[in-house]
Amino acid sequence: MPDDLIPAVKIENLTKTFPVPFRKEKVVAVDNLSLSVKQGEVYGLIGPNGSGKSTTMKVLLGLISATSGNSSVFGMSSTETASRGSVGFLPENPYFYKYLTGAETIAFYGKLCGINRKEIKERTKELLKLVELEGARDRRLAGYSKGMLQRIGLAQALVGRPKLVVLDEPTAGVDPAGSRKIRDLIMQLKEQGITVILSSHLLEQVQEVCDRVGIIFEGKLVREGSLKELIEIENQTELVLENSNPDLLEKIKRLINDQEGVNLIRSGKPKTTLETLFLRETGGESRDAKNDS
Amino acid sequence: MTEANEKSFEDNLNSRFKIFSLSRVIAIAMNTFTQLVRMKVFYFLLIFSVLIIGANVLFLNFTFEQELKILQDVSFGAMTLFASIFSIVGTALLIPKDIEDRTLYTILTKPVPRFEYLIGKLLGILFLVAVSLVLMSILFFAVLYIRQYGILAEETNQIRGQPTAEQLSSLKETIFSQGLRPELLNGVIAIFLKASVAAAIALVVSTFASSTLFTIIVSLVIYFIGHAQSMALTYYFPEGDMHGALQRFIAGIVAIMFPNLQMYNVVDGIVSGQSVPFALMARLTGLTGFYLVIYSFVSWMLFAKKEL
Repeated sequence: MPDDLIPAVKIENLTKTFPVPFRKEKVVAVDNLSLSVKQGEVYGLIGPNGSGKSTTMKVLLGLISATSGNSSVFGMSSTETASRGSVGFLPENPYFYKYLTGAETIAFYGKLCGINRKEIKERTKELLKLVELEGARDRRLAGYSKGMLQRIGLAQALVGRPKLVVLDEPTAGVDPAGSRKIRDLIMQLKEQGITVILSSHLLEQVQEVCDRVGIIFEGKLVREGSLKELIEIENQTELVLENSNPDLLEKIKRLINDQEGVNLIRSGKPKTTLETLFLRETGGESRDAKNDS
Repeated sequence: MTEANEKSFEDNLNSRFKIFSLSRVIAIAMNTFTQLVRMKVFYFLLIFSVLIIGANVLFLNFTFEQELKILQDVSFGAMTLFASIFSIVGTALLIPKDIEDRTLYTILTKPVPRFEYLIGKLLGILFLVAVSLVLMSILFFAVLYIRQYGILAEETNQIRGQPTAEQLSSLKETIFSQGLRPELLNGVIAIFLKASVAAAIALVVSTFASSTLFTIIVSLVIYFIGHAQSMALTYYFPEGDMHGALQRFIAGIVAIMFPNLQMYNVVDGIVSGQSVPFALMARLTGLTGFYLVIYSFVSWMLFAKKEL
């Protein structure tokens, strides 16, 4: 198979059970789950708490072993340490070594990826710029805000130039401006052809950045497909007009009424989102960003 | 970075993975060392200084033999205590904390085999113990050096009349034979070796423990049993008696589970003026190496499949 046709992630019939202390029965966290993520795709994994998202990710990253089934990253079994050479991971609410500075943190993870000293220097500078933490490079992580920690977490995930980035709730607890920055970074990764798996409760965000989405419920993949397939209402059409007037609207309504079987469901003024309003009113900048400089 | 550079960088990364990488181990070890240093553990040096200066001031009215002996006893005692605490508490504090804080996720999702993580942590702790022992030794030897010359001056003043060269030489020899001498280094090495075994015990415990407190308590229990192990074995299996295969097997298992830490207590002999044979030091070093290998292997066996 040509290299670019190998799926970035392939999970086949994955089942993971956890024993319950002092009982015979087991908790089924993931139940016969199969999914495949193409190279360069942004895949959203969504589901309620305890649905099995994190367990699936942990198996994929080799942190826990599958009870049955298997998973691979770029064709290499995820049980092999070498498969992690092409993966970057940002866990939910990450804790890093708080006594290290931002630059030291990136350098430490760079060394673990096998990058040499000269490259690490260059890469640290590059990543701090990317996540907009250049002003906080020499500050210890103990003094970082939640948003800054998420961004340094993203930087450490990217230090080894991974081909696959796994993000578990990357915007949890981050303010809208910080959240927007992380979303922009995901879009940048997508433009660079990096595969992204994103787990999030913020469905609007998933909708905005993901090409395909999988919905997990009680350990099973209950729905999967491209965003278009999943959320488009096939038999409805939306028209948004700018600078229209009541006469024109009346004409359109009459025209619709003349058509057999066509119904006008609603009309009105489209609304902006609260987030867009917030970003517009606050200039799209968080305190973190101001603190950085 | 140009596109061509990026491509070669990526290719490099893919071919970079090695089953064992010393640079990854060193990165984890130095990170562990930095973590402990920035936790301000070296403040203990202040306590150590107070102890040895206190030992000097409090026992001024004793004979010089007693004074030098007490100074060495207190210093070696404090060094053993601090080295053991660093080994056990340091190891117990770091690995369970990495698991609790999920920092371990970010390390093990990089191409880092689990045994490299364990070895890196252990080496980081041992490096910290070694550095702290070097610093304590410098303080201890400096105080001892100053004190032995102080005692020489005091004792010379107590000789009636002008002391002869022979008297001075004899006095100097007597004082210096109980003062700063190369033999003391063997004591420091023995303390380091014992602390290394204690760290390896804590490493094993921390791989299956659920908390820092549990790791510290279990490691301390093993540490104390290790000091009484040889006594218990001698009681149940007296030397000279013929023992069956089962008894020898049990004794072997006990010796591996609870290392004979009493063997490392050579400092009492050194302080009393005895010399430590090279063969004993070589045996202690070999035994420490054996325990480090065995305990690291057991830790890896327990940690390799641990669900995180």
